[in-house]
Amino acid sequence: MTATSLSQPQSEKHRRKRIRWIDVKEQLTGYLFISPSFLIITIFGFFPIGYAIYMSTFRWRVVKGDFIGLGNYEKALGDWIGALTFVIGMALLFFAYLVWNSGMKSHSTRSMVLKLLAAFLLIAAGLAIPLGWNRMMTSGDPRFLNSLPITLFYALGTVPAELALAMGLAYILFQKIRGQETFRMFYFLPYITPVVAAAVVFRSIFSPRDSSLANVFLSWFGIPAQKWLFEARPMTEILFGIKLEGFFAGPSLALVSIIFFGIWTYVGYNTVIFLAGLGSIPGDLYEAAEIDGGGKWHLFRHITLPLLSPVTFYLALIAFIGTFKAFNHIYVMRVPSALGTVNTASVTIFDTFYKANQFGYATSQAILLFIIILALTLVQNKVFGEKVFYG
Amino acid sequence: MADVSQTMEKVSVKESHPFTFKINSGRLILYLILILGAIVAILPFFWMVSTSLMTLGETINRQWLPEVPQFENYSEAWTEAKFAKYFVNSVIITFVTIAGLLTTSILSGYAFGRIKFFGKNVLFALLLATMMIPESVTMIPNFLMIRGDILPLPGDSWLNTLPALTVPFIANAFSIFLLRQFFIKIPDELWDAARMDGAGHFRFLIQICLPISKAPVLTVMIFAFIGSWNAFLWPLLVTTRAVWRPLMVGLWTFVSEAGPETNLLMAGAVITIIPILILYFLTQKQFTEGIATTGLKG
Repeated sequence: MTATSLSQPQSEKHRRKRIRWIDVKEQLTGYLFISPSFLIITIFGFFPIGYAIYMSTFRWRVVKGDFIGLGNYEKALGDWIGALTFVIGMALLFFAYLVWNSGMKSHSTRSMVLKLLAAFLLIAAGLAIPLGWNRMMTSGDPRFLNSLPITLFYALGTVPAELALAMGLAYILFQKIRGQETFRMFYFLPYITPVVAAAVVFRSIFSPRDSSLANVFLSWFGIPAQKWLFEARPMTEILFGIKLEGFFAGPSLALVSIIFFGIWTYVGYNTVIFLAGLGSIPGDLYEAAEIDGGGKWHLFRHITLPLLSPVTFYLALIAFIGTFKAFNHIYVMRVPSALGTVNTASVTIFDTFYKANQFGYATSQAILLFIIILALTLVQNKVFGEKVFYG
Repeated sequence: MADVSQTMEKVSVKESHPFTFKINSGRLILYLILILGAIVAILPFFWMVSTSLMTLGETINRQWLPEVPQFENYSEAWTEAKFAKYFVNSVIITFVTIAGLLTTSILSGYAFGRIKFFGKNVLFALLLATMMIPESVTMIPNFLMIRGDILPLPGDSWLNTLPALTVPFIANAFSIFLLRQFFIKIPDELWDAARMDGAGHFRFLIQICLPISKAPVLTVMIFAFIGSWNAFLWPLLVTTRAVWRPLMVGLWTFVSEAGPETNLLMAGAVITIIPILILYFLTQKQFTEGIATTGLKG
């Protein structure tokens, strides 16, 4: 646009030519400027995605073998009908939630019908999920399939806890605390510490020795020493002595130790971001509410929480995706005695690739993980995204 | 006037509760919670440093602090466990990556922010989409590529070379996005004035835009430093020998080699952490603010 104003005195024909030339030059400059990064990102970012899909359809152990179509995927999931039943079950769960929600919004009879429908969908989901899962487990790859609930435990163990702790700390720090910056600096340290180094330190803190920090801490409360990272038994057995099998047994103590590490690392990061979010809430809102006689809890519940919800949502999304991709610290903190109870999906994929040298099969597992992450992100967007309040 | 009276009111309210050191029990609890949080945050660091100064016997039958600090643990880790070599490797890898990344992302960030070209929005959306792809998907094809299995590479295979550790990381969507957000806000008047003086995009970028973009450039550098220094999975794959092995992989190989020598291991961990801590304390304000604002903008 500015080009026209610059070349006003020139004849119409000349002007048009000039605009053209500037335009072409501008275009070329643009492509020239983005070319270095696009070259790198194409080679190491876009191309590998396509190549991974290609690889996943071959029997590929170090060197390329026969084309087997979806064989690798079948090997991981076991049974298509089982997998389909499981996915349908999950979808029903999601629909049950949606129907229940709209039931809550509407009135009397319609509401009752919708709630009943939701309950029905929930029952159907409750049947389909274990049915599909068991079918998959009998013929699929138990290493890969088991890594999924382990990843889920890890995600559910870290994300809500780290968000809640961070929000609490940020809220306290925001109350005109002396030395706010010093506290913030300390809280942030774990996040910037190299993960491998920190995980090496946590291996020593959660070691089964009586003198390890975790066991010293337990001894203050008179609790006997635990094996921590070396403990493959599930939490339900350690805490209550109940022997359960499968999903409902819960995570192993080894995984819980790694969850502690995850929380330790990310609370500070979340605190810093929550603090910035709190700073952007206009102060007069609080003053107005205080004049109306709202108590501290009331202010937090009805002003801070809703106005902070975009930040919370963003952090939850990032943290959730992060836990599904998490690799480094789990790999470093893993010991053979944990008997694979800490092998999340990323760790399992790495083992399939690096230890077992099944390149094609490992890429198919990675693509399945990617699909799961995408689906979870979409669901999270739908379920929590609606609750976000944008000023 | 209303404003003034309101602030006056606030001041008088404050004055009626002058800030003294009289301890208010509610606030005391808040401080106790904060201090407890800080202790939990730094306790592992204390544990690491104290263990790194112990004798082997002390690490097994341990107390909180070593009887006599064993500083020679550090020299032992530095020389015997080849940490000196790994350290130099990590420094070189990090600097090459930062230099490359800054060059590519400043140019691209500028192009996406300030130049009109065909297909810009589509390309930008594609770029942002790469941030969603998990490393485990791209890792295996990239490994084959670095080995020279897919395309012929100069020098046959890049395993155990510097390019394998740097080239894949000298461009990323995040840095481009960050810089674009800044460049797009530079007023058009500046560009018009520069063009009157006969400057092209490149000169405008170097002479006008960069000097006022210190904050976002520093943020990109900090993120690149952390990412490169802390990288583990990829270097683990492409360094089968010690030639270009970076610190993190060196520390991990030491975990299996050192066995029960926790004190040396902790000394190694301290060595790997120190450069990051120095960077953090030097650029603390920019560091936390950069992260907070990038986090908020999403």
